[in-house]
Order: sequence, then structure tokens, then C-alpha cells
Amino acid sequence: MTVGIKKAARPRKMSFPEGVYLVEIAKALWLTMSHLLRNIVRQEGIRTIEYPEVRREMPPRFRGLHRLMKREDGTPRCTACFCCPTACPAKCITIVAGESPDPRVEKFPVRFDIDMLRCVFCGLCVEACPLDAIRMDTGWFTPPDDSREKLVFTIEMLLEKRG
Amino acid sequence: MPNLTINGVAVSVPEGTTILSAAKQVGIHIPHYCYHTHLSVAGNCRMCQVEVEKFPKLQTACSTVATEGMVVRTDTEAVRKAVRGALEFLLIHHPIDCPICDQAGECGLQDYYMTVGLHKSRYPLGDKIHKKKVQDAGSGIVLDAERCILCSRCVRFLEEVTGTRELQFFRRGDHSEISFFPGRPIDNHYAGNLADICPVGALTSRDFRFRCRVWFLKSAESICTGCARGCNIEAHFHEGVLYRYKPRVNDAVNRAWMCDFGRMEYRKANEARLLAPFVRENGVEKEMPWGALMPQVAQRLSDAVRTHGADTVAVIASPQLSNEELFLVRHFASDLLGTMNLAFTRRAPEDGFSDDFLIHPDKNPNSAGARLLGIPGEEAFHAVAGRISRGEIRALVIFGNVLGAFSEKGTLELLSKAPFIVQVGTNEGVVSRAAHAVLPSASFVERGGTFVNCDGRLQRFRAGFAPRGKARNTIEILVDLGNRLGAGWSFSGEESVFRALSRSEAPFRGMTYGSIGSLGREVKR
Amino acid sequence: MTGPLFDLAVVLIRIGVVFSFCMGLVMVFVWAERKGAAYIQDRRGPNRASILGWTAWGMFHPLADAIKFLFKEDFVPDNAHRAYYVIAPMFVIAPVILSVAVIPFGPDVSIFGRRVMLQIADLNMGFLYVLAVSGMTVYGIVLGGWASGSKYPLLGGLRSAAQMLSYEVSMGLSLVGIFMVFESVRLSHIVLEQGELLFGVIPKWGVFVQPIGFILFLTAQYAEANRTPFDLPEGDSELVGGYHTEYGSFKFSMFMMGEYLHMVVSSVIVATLFFGGWQFPYLHDTGFLFPGGFSVSLPEIVVLLMRCGSIFVKSLFFTWMYVWVRWTIPRFRYDQVMRLGWKVLLPLSLANVFVTGLVLLLLER
Ligand code: SF4
Ligand code: SF4
Ligand code: FES
Repeated sequence: MTVGIKKAARPRKMSFPEGVYLVEIAKALWLTMSHLLRNIVRQEGIRTIEYPEVRREMPPRFRGLHRLMKREDGTPRCTACFCCPTACPAKCITIVAGESPDPRVEKFPVRFDIDMLRCVFCGLCVEACPLDAIRMDTGWFTPPDDSREKLVFTIEMLLEKRG
Repeated sequence: MPNLTINGVAVSVPEGTTILSAAKQVGIHIPHYCYHTHLSVAGNCRMCQVEVEKFPKLQTACSTVATEGMVVRTDTEAVRKAVRGALEFLLIHHPIDCPICDQAGECGLQDYYMTVGLHKSRYPLGDKIHKKKVQDAGSGIVLDAERCILCSRCVRFLEEVTGTRELQFFRRGDHSEISFFPGRPIDNHYAGNLADICPVGALTSRDFRFRCRVWFLKSAESICTGCARGCNIEAHFHEGVLYRYKPRVNDAVNRAWMCDFGRMEYRKANEARLLAPFVRENGVEKEMPWGALMPQVAQRLSDAVRTHGADTVAVIASPQLSNEELFLVRHFASDLLGTMNLAFTRRAPEDGFSDDFLIHPDKNPNSAGARLLGIPGEEAFHAVAGRISRGEIRALVIFGNVLGAFSEKGTLELLSKAPFIVQVGTNEGVVSRAAHAVLPSASFVERGGTFVNCDGRLQRFRAGFAPRGKARNTIEILVDLGNRLGAGWSFSGEESVFRALSRSEAPFRGMTYGSIGSLGREVKR
Repeated sequence: MTGPLFDLAVVLIRIGVVFSFCMGLVMVFVWAERKGAAYIQDRRGPNRASILGWTAWGMFHPLADAIKFLFKEDFVPDNAHRAYYVIAPMFVIAPVILSVAVIPFGPDVSIFGRRVMLQIADLNMGFLYVLAVSGMTVYGIVLGGWASGSKYPLLGGLRSAAQMLSYEVSMGLSLVGIFMVFESVRLSHIVLEQGELLFGVIPKWGVFVQPIGFILFLTAQYAEANRTPFDLPEGDSELVGGYHTEYGSFKFSMFMMGEYLHMVVSSVIVATLFFGGWQFPYLHDTGFLFPGGFSVSLPEIVVLLMRCGSIFVKSLFFTWMYVWVRWTIPRFRYDQVMRLGWKVLLPLSLANVFVTGLVLLLLER
């Protein structure tokens, strides 16, 4: 078996003018200045999004705050299968399962909390869910709040959210 | 002794061994559902088919007895095809409710689907036959007929082990389903085993249902504390909470079963636990750190011995303690306190329910061990109790949560006579309501040790997780307290105590944790 | 007007004007830094703070900052040495303000028949004073770092001590050439000298007679000001915030102000030493006098204003240069900083002194 050794290119030795650095600095200064001047003259090059007034269009696969889906009759689609807390690397989903009075549902989440402060928004929970019951398509970031408790989203809050 | 080869591996087995068990001996796993080591052979699931040379058709390994010169193959294409076919048949009407099924994670269907199945279902979803779900089958068993693969393990268990025959197959063909006669649900003390032996999610335990996903559980080899039988079990826990017990195979004790009372013993480790040391002064409880409480307790005890004499202190042990703990308790009482007032009391006044199978009347796991270690039982306890009630005892150390010989009222009355009571216990109870200093100790599965069961078998149980709350291992508490009274003990962990114990106690002489193994050993008598 | 009172008034006014000039420049500087950084990086920069809906291109942000700093809680960390902790920021800001004193902002003018220097104090030791005084800022930084009682500030303080001491050496040496050429350390004298012409064509500015000295001095100035690419004492990526990690509210703003003031002052000094100070090329007391003999005469007041404006514009440029360089060149590694200081700048500045001496000697012959 041959071991694949890849020779990485060594950084080229600097030529004298480069080594003196001054010319290079001058070039760099010219580059930054050209940006500055261009941006003063016309503002098209500026990428800033004026945040609260203008919002970036979320890419379709953006992973925002979670929401729980409902069945047609309004009950949570989630059956408390525990796939999402199993997949969750941040261990931020707490589910307490209960026996549903409806034998066709059988199992349902009595509690379903997501600790948004721990969540790393990896989306593995969404990936893991066999029932498409949890989604991260709300297009929202974690909002600021003044207590940790308020950022533990309960099942009611999660069911309320819209995609 | 027939000699045969399985997948080219030569093996020689006793007469009458089936191919399936012969294969197991050489580490070859043959898929199976209906076969169970401790039940009769039914041969109806067809998962165990293997190819045997000179046989025209595939054979079921669970029912074919190995004979001389047999050449068995489990890895041919024909076998694979047959097994996959068998599995596909079993799955035809199986509902797709793994997300809600409690068996998920320890389900035979899931396991074999991943190893031998992996087929695409050819059966339209809408054509699946639906049967009755979530039926209360009695004795804490939930029956989901739809998930059943009709392996008949449960039927055979109820016929051969309990002899109660509650479950039966009804109807025919695709519509066959397992059920019980109207008004006659499962009613026996071993029903919990049904949930264990059911290879799929058809029979699940009401108690464990939905409490925890099985893949989160960790397990520790243990011994049931429910009665003196000492059934071998596995304790399943997750993040410091015990969830269930499952029997562990030990043909010398419980074979593959355990009773339902024992199964529920785990709850005691979760409910009403003593979690922090406290003192009771003038009837008011006050939590106290260990570091402050231990010197106080030691002081009170040695004061009592010094001023009133060793006769005025008493130690009440418990057969819930392990041999290691009892050994230290005995030394603590007779050597350190120098008192003769040492006895144990069981947790129930008299013998409890028993049967001719596993359930033993003595509801304590280690009464035999206590006796072997020279701690006297009920008679001596009554003598000590008498001294207490006459007010002769000035300091009392109680291991355990109840004084089984007395009713609740009687216990409180008795204990009100002692001016200073130290409790080393796990759960809140009548003793913790009366004690003046409560030292919370590690409950079952939070510690390890050994018990001696009713038949004189020394069996080991292992620690699974650290004591809850601020509770401490009883051995730790005893060593700490003992050293404050000048014992100079350097024990750490149950094994070091057992080494000392096996050196000085005749019945245990020469034994080590290694020689006990996971199945236990008879003690010398 | 009587003599002494008049003198006093003049002194006070001069101090007031120069001080507020520098402070004003700091404000502008902070604004330019933010806006400049933004534009260089294709961003929009500060544009929110407004007065009655007028944002003034983000100009109010420094103001808002100042107000914020004033009203923030003034705390002292538990581990800090109280007294030193409080003194440190003052130690940073005071020397910088002091060093402004010797900078000539224009030629002498006569007011009410009296000659008045546009300089707070025309010390004969001139630049040596600047060197001496500005060298003191390092105490403030080290003190702040040490008094905070926390590891990152301490490391930042140590770094800046090593760095500032290293570069002070070459900074002083790089100027020796200038002093040799102009035969004085008195700043007003140096500026006057720079009004002359070299070979009758180019102004005899420091940068033309001492190009190497200029580059060395400029580099050393950046290092002295703890400015990118030499901002290792702050090194946010490894030291959190460097020597002022534990500082907040007004004390922090004093550090900030000290730093910016330092840069403003050093810009003025560079302009003074190397770019003719208030001199305007070819502008004489009476008007322009170009090399070809062509001349334009201007009224005295216009000349004066042009001259004052000249130093103002030059300083502004160098102040801008600080911003510009910061957003162009990334931070050096610490060993690179030290190597540059000791192995490049120091030998070069020594060589510069030697060559200058040689040339001067040859010219004299
Ligand atoms: S997004 Fe990732 S971290 Fe957040 S809840 Fe889902 S699995 Fe957990
Ligand atoms: S994976 Fe889906 S169904 Fe399962 S618990 Fe999570 S949200 Fe509920
Ligand atoms: S195990 Fe052999 S047929 Fe079921």
C-alpha cells in the first residue's frame, strides 16, 4: 500500500522588494483606499443590511427557532418517541411522555421543553424526527430575554409558532 | 457426545443439544424469536433455519438435535433468503409504530431487520390487518395484538412456568391474534416476565411504559432485595434514576424469571429518599453538613459509653444490609462501642406471602448473611427492644428504615424511650421521624456488596451509579464513624471489606469477589 | 492692556485653543475611524445616533459614547489595587496632553504690537521634552495592567512595556538625523528651517532630507501608540482586551482618549518634524514665491490662515493615516514586533545617523 503523502507547497520565499515590505504596504493601502473611495462615491458596494428595517431573505434551509407541528385536530403531531433528544448533541430537549386517552395515538408528550440557550441549532432533531413533528423553519433567531427560564421553550410555545 | 461442524467450526456437544445451542457455544448467533432457553421448543417463527448437509430442506436450528458428523451452515445464500423471507412474513401485518412502541431499541424485529432483513416492504400499507391495541391484559401488562408475531413464548410461559394459561391464540390465518378470555385477564405473580420474553412490543410493562427509552438505560448486575430468594437481576438506570429490574439467568436460583413484587422493589430507590443528613432538635429537623454532624454523633456515642457504660448503647442492624456492611456493623457494636446489645430486625413483623416457586416468606435479602456473621435475629432484638422500653438504652444506632417487629405506633412509642437515636437509612419512614440524627445512606444499586440468600448462596451485586443527593455509602459512613471512635480502619470500597471478612469469618473463608463471579457460590456451613 | 495680564490671557487662550483643537480632533478621529473602517470593509458604519432625526453621517456616535461612558457604573474590581487602578488612566492621558505644549501651530504673529508665538511653550530642549513626556505613558499602561489584578491585563501591560521600550530607542535615534540637519531640537526652529528650499526647488522638509528617518520614525510612532499593526498590548484575540480589560466606564474612556490623543499628537509631530509644520510650500510672509521667480502677494492674514491650515491639514492626513493603516495591515506576531524593533529599526536608525553625519561632513568640506 502506498501512503499518499501530499507535498504541500511551501510559502514562496519573499523577493527583496516584498521583504522590505514597504511596497507591499503601499499596495495594500491603495487597495483599501480604493474601497473607501468607491464606497464614498457610490454606495452600491456596501453590503450592510439595515437590520431592523430590512431583513435578509432567509435561505430555504435556514435553521431557526423550532416549532412543533400539529395534527389536523390540533393535537401535537409529536408522539414522544425520543428520537430528537437522542440525536441532540446539546442535550437540550426534555420530553416527558404520557399515555394518551386515544388508543390510536397511544403516546404523547406531556412535556416537551427545548432549552434554547443550550441548543446549537444543528438541526439534528429535525433530521431525526420520524413524523416531521419538529421543524426549524420559523426563520427566527433566539430572541434576547432577561431570564434563562424564559428561554426554555415549552410545548405550548413550540406549538404556537408558525413556519 | 456428537461432533459436528457449524460454518466449518468443529464443536462437540452433549447428546440432545440443538443446533441453535451448539452454535451459541462457538459464538455463532442464529436468529430466533420463538426459541427461549427456559421454555419448550415451538419452532413456529422459522427464523432459525439453517442448512444441514444431506437434508433436502432447510432445518429449524431450535428444534433439530445435533447428531454425529452433522455439517451445518448458517451463512449460505439459501439460508439468508429463507430467513429474510421469514422476517418479511412476520412483518407483513406489523404496524409501523416504532416511535410509540416501548420495545423500540430492544426489539427483535428491529434488530433482525437491520442484520438480516433490510428489505423494502412489498405489502401495501392500507392492506395491513389491524388488531386491538393498548389492551389492559391484567397484572400490569399491556397487550398490543397488532405487534405480536405469534411466537407463542408467552403462551408457553403461562403454561409451563406459572401454569395459569391466561393467554391463547384466537382466530385463524392473518387474523390470528393473541388474547385472553373475556373477564379472565392475566393474574399471577410472574406476569412481568411476559414483557421480558416477548421479543416484540406486543406485551409491555405498564409500570415501565413510556418512562424512559431503553437505549438511554445503563445496567448493573444485581440481586433483587425483595425477598430471601435473591433472584439475579439486572438493574436498569439512567442519570441516577432506577427504572426497572430484569431477571438475569441463573439456573441455580431463579432460572430466567423473577416475581412482580421484586420487580417493584426498584421504586424504593426513587421514592421518599433521605437525601441530606439532618438532626432533630426538640422536634425540629435541621439539615447539617456531614463534616459537622459526624463528630457530633461520634461524641454523643462515646459520651454515652463513658458515662453510662457500654450496656446503655444498642445497635440494631438490618438484613437489608450487605455482608460487608453487617461485618463492619458488628465490629462497630462489639469492638468500638463494646456493647452486647446487637441484633437485627426484619422489615416485616412476620413472614410474608410465599409460593412454591421463587417468592420466599422472608422479605429480606440477607437474613442468612446476618446470622452467618453472628448477628442475632428476632429473639435478641426483642431483648434489646425490652431494654429500650425500660429506658435502659441511652444511645441507639439503627440501620434501616423500619423496625419490622413493631407497628408504626409501636415503633414510635419504643423509640420515644431512647434519648439519642442515630439512623443510618435510605428512606423516610417511621425511624427517620423519630431519630435525632439521620445519616442518609446509599440505596440499592448505588452501592455494591454481597448477600447470602435463603439457600446459603453468596451472591454479589454491583454499584450502578453514585448515591443520590448527599447520601453516602454505608461502608463509608461506618468507616468514618468508626475511625472517630478510634477504629483505625482503612477500608475503601466493599471489596476491601470483603477481603477482611473472608479472612476472619469461617463461612466465607477463602472466597473472593472473583470466585463468587456473577452467579454466586454456596457458603460453607 | 497691561503686560502680565495680557501675557496670562494669551497663555490661557493658547492652551485652551490647542487643547480643544486636539480634543476635537480626537472626536473626529474616532468618527473617521469608524466610518473609514466601515467603508474600507464595504460596510455602512455608524448611522443610527441622531439629533432630531439628523444623523450627521454617524458623527454623533462618539458623542453618544462619551455620554454613555460618563453614566456607566464606575467600578473597581475586587482584586485591583484601588489607588493605582484609579491613577493609571490619568497616567496615560496626562503625558500626552503635556507633550502638545511644544508644538508650533504657526509662525509668530503680532497682536497689539506684541509678538505672540502660536505655541504654548517654545522650550529650547524642544523635542527632547516630547520624548521624555510621552515616554511616561508606558507607566500608565503597565500600572493599569498590574493594578487590575487579573492575568490578561498584566500580560498586556508587560507586552506594552517591552514593546514601547524597544521602539522608544529607535524612535529617538531616528530623529537624530533631523536634529543634525537642522542643528536644533527646538521645534520652532526646525519648522522655520523647513521653510527653506533644497536646491532651490523642493522645500527643505524633513521627509526630503531624512526619508529613511521619516519611515523609521513613523513606524516607531505606530508602535508607541499601540496601534495596529503593533496593537499587541490589547491583542483582543489572545488577551481579551489587554491592559484595559478590567476597566470600564469613564476610566476606560480615559484610556481610549489617551490612546487617540497620543495618535493625534504624534500626527502633529510627524507633520512638524518631517512635513514642515505650519510651512506651506513656497509661501513666504508676503505671499507665494515660486522657484521660477513667479510670485503672488497675499495679505498677511491670509498667509497666516494658510499656514495654520497647513499644519491642520497635514496632521489630519497623518491621523487618517493611522486609521488607514489599521484597516489595512493585520497585527504582527509578538516575535515579529521584537525582531522588527531590534533587528531592523535599530540598526537602520544607527546607520541613518552615521550616513547623515557623513553627508553633512562632506557637504561642509
Ligand atoms: S437543533 Fe440540534 S442542539 Fe438544537 S434542539 Fe435540535 S438537535 Fe438539539
Ligand atoms: S423525534 Fe419527533 S416525534 Fe419523536 S419526540 Fe422528537 S419531535 Fe416528537
Ligand atoms: S426459533 Fe426456531 S422456529 Fe422460532
